[in-house]
Formats: sequence, structure tokens, C-alpha cells
Amino acid sequence: MVRYVAQRVGQSILAIFLTVSTVFVLVRLAPGDPAAAYASPLATTAELDRIRAQFGLDKPLIQQYGIFVQDLFHGNLGTSFSFQAPALDVVLSRMPYTIMLAVSAILFAAVVAIPAGVWMARHADTARELGANVAMIAGQSMPEFWSGIMLLTIFAVLVPVLPASGFTSWAGLVLPTVTVGILQIALISRLVRREMGAGFAAPYLTIARARGISERGLTWRYALGNSAVPLVTALGTRFAAMLNGVVVVEVVFAWPGVGSLVVRALETRDYPLIQATVLVTAILTVLVQLLIDLTYPLLDPRVRLGKAVAS
Amino acid sequence: MTLSPLAACAGPGSAPGVGSTSGAGAGSGITLALNRSLVSLDNKLNQFDAAVTVQRGVRQALTFIDPKLTVQHVLAERFELTAPTEWTVKLRDGVRYSDGSPVTVEDVSTALQMYQKVPGSFLAGLFPEWPTVTPVDAATFKLVTKHPVPTLDYLMANILITPAAANKPEELQGGVGSGPYVVTAANRGTGEYTLQVNDKYWGPAPAIKTVQVRFLPEEANRVVALRSGEVDVIDAISPDAISQLSGLGDVEVQQVPSTRITQLFYNFRKPAGHPLADPRVREALSYAINGPSLIKDVFADSVSPARGVVADTLTGAVQTGEYVYDPQKAKQMLDAAGVKDLKIKIIWETGEFANDTSVMEAVVEMLKAVGVQAELQQFQPGGDISKWRQGRGGDWDVLGNGYPGPTGLALTPLQGMFAGTKEKEATRDTYQGYVFPKIAALLEKASQETDKAARESILATAQKEIWNTWPCMWAFVPKTVIARRKRVENVLLSPTNSYELASVRLNG
Repeated sequence: MVRYVAQRVGQSILAIFLTVSTVFVLVRLAPGDPAAAYASPLATTAELDRIRAQFGLDKPLIQQYGIFVQDLFHGNLGTSFSFQAPALDVVLSRMPYTIMLAVSAILFAAVVAIPAGVWMARHADTARELGANVAMIAGQSMPEFWSGIMLLTIFAVLVPVLPASGFTSWAGLVLPTVTVGILQIALISRLVRREMGAGFAAPYLTIARARGISERGLTWRYALGNSAVPLVTALGTRFAAMLNGVVVVEVVFAWPGVGSLVVRALETRDYPLIQATVLVTAILTVLVQLLIDLTYPLLDPRVRLGKAVAS
Repeated sequence: MTLSPLAACAGPGSAPGVGSTSGAGAGSGITLALNRSLVSLDNKLNQFDAAVTVQRGVRQALTFIDPKLTVQHVLAERFELTAPTEWTVKLRDGVRYSDGSPVTVEDVSTALQMYQKVPGSFLAGLFPEWPTVTPVDAATFKLVTKHPVPTLDYLMANILITPAAANKPEELQGGVGSGPYVVTAANRGTGEYTLQVNDKYWGPAPAIKTVQVRFLPEEANRVVALRSGEVDVIDAISPDAISQLSGLGDVEVQQVPSTRITQLFYNFRKPAGHPLADPRVREALSYAINGPSLIKDVFADSVSPARGVVADTLTGAVQTGEYVYDPQKAKQMLDAAGVKDLKIKIIWETGEFANDTSVMEAVVEMLKAVGVQAELQQFQPGGDISKWRQGRGGDWDVLGNGYPGPTGLALTPLQGMFAGTKEKEATRDTYQGYVFPKIAALLEKASQETDKAARESILATAQKEIWNTWPCMWAFVPKTVIARRKRVENVLLSPTNSYELASVRLNG
């Protein structure tokens, strides 16, 4: 176990380093000039040259990369051009909002989607399941910007019971959470329905039923228990994706998370800010993935970390 | 100022809660929603329109440009041209910062030095030269220049004064100011600030006790937040949103002509013999543009037609002519100039002005009607348009671009756009290659003329000369627009797109 974790951590560090290095090169290959974005539109060529020198952008790419790596190992991700503050601090000031929205949305999705999926599995191939399926497919088909704007129009404008934008009160979390959650509910409930459907048809459930175990026990303990690994994987993967910023939802609700931050960083060619955002979100994503892996043996005793799954 | 993650973890801000209809709440405060993130309360590097209102609530300058674009004294009690290259300034008696310390001559001197040291500063381009401070007594000093700078009282309105010991050659994130408000909470990362009344303010106490500043980059968010009462004042409003908000009973839309001009500016780097190097062709194309229709149908009357080469709101601006829609004349002039099957490329940056894409698409059709084929190339913000403007990215013919007038003086944009010289063009630092030595000389002369009447006469001549070169295919002056809840009163909106926070009041 310890060896597995150490191995995974080592792999993760390498993956993060390669990711950040790739982003370092790619952002510099993109069109645009950070000096022009930073300076006044009236800045002269000489002033732009001075700014490039100030940011070290006048140096050859390989030299810039060397400096970047050296600074990275000292925990210095540079100063954001647009915020004029340490890039890492800017990202960390936004990260709590992103984590909050991601946690809230994934909890909301799990609380609604798991019972819904179980209900659909228990009413498989009925008119009721068909109705639920239609609702789920509708949820899955709605673009987040559209569902967000609809919710905003209804609950912030027509019946103004919830804040329209930002995080000025806890109620401000409701609409973004529901908007992100709608799509996740649709996806996860259908996954639960599929996994449980297979579980209900499995021989061990027939034996359990023959042993006199109640339908409730069969459903929640056996069938759902057997779906735990794919379910946790799906929830974890979606949660990790949300940590990279739910850009559309953040824009619709003016949510001050990292998604909208990275959009702005890209617009202003704020290299240090882009790199810091990628680094922080990559670390969080890798950590979440590692945690998911570590839960597998707890959910399924057949799983042994670092070894093939026993059949 | 904080960027601490702990601060962000602390939970929601103190702005209004669910369904609040009172902005910052409780009748004593307001909430402003800005379209640009307020990353500092200083303007050394950038001076975004929306930020100026808040910055000046905290930090002040020696002078102030009022809504009529005339100079008012703020920290200065006297600001007087006492010799061609010398202004005498006396600090107002009793002016002090929020920590109780007095504003000193050294603070002014240090501020000027710090503004000079910031690379790429927006303000540096406004000053023909930086003045030096020569103290006379504890409260009086002279601002000395090598050449006459007769508009220094206007220019100094942009230099915000901070205690010398706390000033640095960078955008200040914290520190104290002499303005009517102090910052009590700030998150630069999210662009949210809370201002409270400065108890030690040297002037009349403002009526609004608390000002919340929020960053809502999307217009739709700002409009919904205003409609729902979450915020009290919003800025940067498109024509569509203006018509949407105008019909609401509890919202007031306020518009004044701005100091900005938006132009379809020709590329003056065309080689001799190119059709656009011929002023008759440039003039001819202007007759193809149906300005009144664009203003009415695309801009919904949120802009005014340009009647000169800079916004006519500016001090010293004169009306030099009008853009006339006459496609028949356009065709005749093109024929007379021997131009057939002309193809042009129009470039612009997304969001440079409201409804930009619709305007450009309409322009393409208008040009097509006179036999000119136009190609559009749109650049995303932060992209390569700067390189293209300098002629280093590729060839183009017309640039859609706005030029500000932050000093309230016509001289500033005139010099910025039309005072190009061969020397500047060698480094591509002219405005789209515009180099007319006679005009540059006139503008140079005007910039040093200390007699106001003589200066304005020279400027008028220069503007007429510029108009006759047909630098633009079409131009308009956008209006400065804010929308506010009706409970917010006395918002004295200036053409420079800012207002004095201290004068704002709440009704009831």
C-alpha cells in the first residue's frame, strides 16, 4: 500500500511537471504579446521592449524555461502581469470558491442522482422509468449556459428569491450548484441505473433473495454496493474536472472561481497566472484521483492496489 | 489589501443577501458593479474608466476635471501658470490623509517620480514632459518644465498623491489616501472591495457611508444584478441593454457624450500609388457609409456622429465637418480617381466598441454597394492586433479603434493620433503611420502656447488640416452610460466616464 502510494505520488509529480512544462511552451506559442496586453495602448516600442525585459520575455525560450523551473522549485510562480501580485496568491484567492462550488455541486448531484438511478433501476422497463429517462436526457442535453440563464431569469429576476451573481451570500451558491448539478445528475443517475440493472440480473442477487434478504437490503446493500466502484470513479472524475473551473457557469453567475480567472489570464496573456492556475488545478486533480484509487479496496475487497483485480 | 486564501474562505462578502432591493443595504450604502476588475486603487499603470471613480474616492490629485471638463482644485488651493515653464502650486490648508498625516510637497514630488518609473504607463503618454518640483515653502512649490506645458493643471488631475514613504514605482495595493473613503476590505483576486467613510476626511463628509465594489465582467450579469436590486450602479452598457433597462420603473439610465472617439481609421503606411494613399479615395469611401442608419439601427442612438477629428466634448475641439452618406458621390469620386474593383481589409479587436461585429458587417455591405469589396479580420482580446497596427503582423486597410480623451483636452488625443513624425515612424510609434509634418508642427506649437485663445486657434487650424487629410472612413462618439437604481441620486457623470463618489446621495 505504502509502496503503491509512493509510486503514484512519484508518477503524479512527473505528470504535473510535464503538464506545467507543456503549458509553459504552448502559451508562448499562442498569438499575442503580454507586453502589449500589459501596457497602455499608447505605449511606444521602447516602452514595450522595457516591459518585455522586466518580465524576462526578451530572453530565449529555453532560458525563460530554465528560470521558470528554478523558480518553480523554490515555490515561486512569478508575478501576475495583470494583478501585479504573486500569481500563486491570486489563484489561491480564487480556489476556495471553485472548491466550494465543486463540493456543493457534486454533493447535490450525488444526493439526487443516486436515489434517482436506484429508482429507475427498480422500475426498469416501465412507463415511469421511461418518463424519468426523458427527464434525465433533457437534463443531459441542456447546455449549462442555457439552464443557468433560465434559472437566473426565473429565480433572480421574475421571482427574485436568489442572488443573481457572485458570492455575496450563501444563497448565491444555490443557482450555480443547481446549474452544474443538472448535467451531473443526468449522467450519474443513468450510470447508477445501468450498473444496478446489471447487478439485479446477477446470480448473487438471486441467491441473496433466496436467503430471504429484503428488497430494500438487496437494492441498497447488494446491488448499489456492487456499483460503488464505478459510481465513486464517476463522481470523483467529475469532481476533479470541476476543480479546473466550471467556466461557463462561472461566467453566467459571475462566480469568482479559477475558471473565469484562467479565461482572463488567457485574454491578457498573463503567463505566470496561467501557469499557476494549471499547477494548482493539476495538483488538486491528481490528489483527487489518488484518493479515488485509495477508496477502491474499501469499496471492493477484491481490489488490491497495485495488482490486477481478482476475478 | 488581501489575496489570502483564508480571506476568500471566510465566506460570502457583506454585500446584500437574497432578494435585497437595497444594494449594500440598510439605506446607508450602495453597491457598484464594474465591468473591469479593480486590481488596485492606484492608476500608475492603467487607468480603466470604471476604476477611476473608486480610485478617486480613496486617493486624490492636486486637481480634478469636473463633468464640464474644466479644472477644479482639490488638494491644491492654487494652481497657476506663473511663467511659461513654471506653475506655482499651493497645497490646500488642512488637507490630510486618512491616517491623519498632512499632505506635503514631498508627497507630490515623490508621486511624480514614481509615475515616471513605471514602464508602459498609460499616463506617461499624456505628459509631453514630466515636471520637477521645486519647494518654495512648506505648502507651496513650483512645477518646472523645460518647455511650456500650458495644460499641466489638466494633466496633474491624473497624478494621485500618496504619502512619500509609502509610494513605490508600481500600482499601490494598500496604503492611505486623502479621499473621502478608506478601504476596509479588499480581495484583489475577485475584484471586491469595501469602502467606508474616511472619518478624518478634510472635506465635507460624503452622504454614502459604505460603498461595495463588485466585479461583474459580463454585461448580462450586471443588468440582472441591477434589475434584481443586488447592485445600485452599473457601467459599460450596450445599446440593447439600454433599451431593456430604460423601460424599468426603478432604474434610471444616465448618458452623456463621452470624450472618446471611435474611428474606422485608414492605414497610412500604404505605398505611394496605392488607392488609399490618395485622400480623394479615402474621402470617397466615407460617402459609402450610412452613418445615420448605423447610429439609429445598430447603436440605438447610444452614440453621436463625429463632427471633427476628436470628440467634440473635449476642450479645444472644433467641428470640422460631417460624414455624409452619398453612395452616388462615392462611386463618382472612385471613378474619377480611376479606382476599380478596390479590395480592402478591415481589422479590429473584439469588443473595441459596442455591437462591433454588426457594425463591421453593415460596413461591408455598404462598401459593396459602391463596388468595394471588404474583408473583415477580427482579433480576440490579447491577440496580435498590436503587431498588426504597427504593420508588423500583416497588411490591412482600415482599423476599427477607439481613442480616449482622459484629460478632457482635445490636445491630448490630437497629439496622440496626429503628431506623428518620421522619427516616430522609424520605430512604428505613430498612429497607424499618420505622418504629416505640417500638422505635427502645428500641434507641437499648440502644446507650448501659453495663451489659451492663441492655443485654441492653432488647434482649430490643425484640426481642419487633419480633417482635410481624411484620416477616417467614419467615426462616432460613444456616449458614457451608467444605469442606476432610482434611490441613488446626484451621480454627476462626467464625459470621462467617472463621477465623484462623495457627491452621491440616497433618496428617502
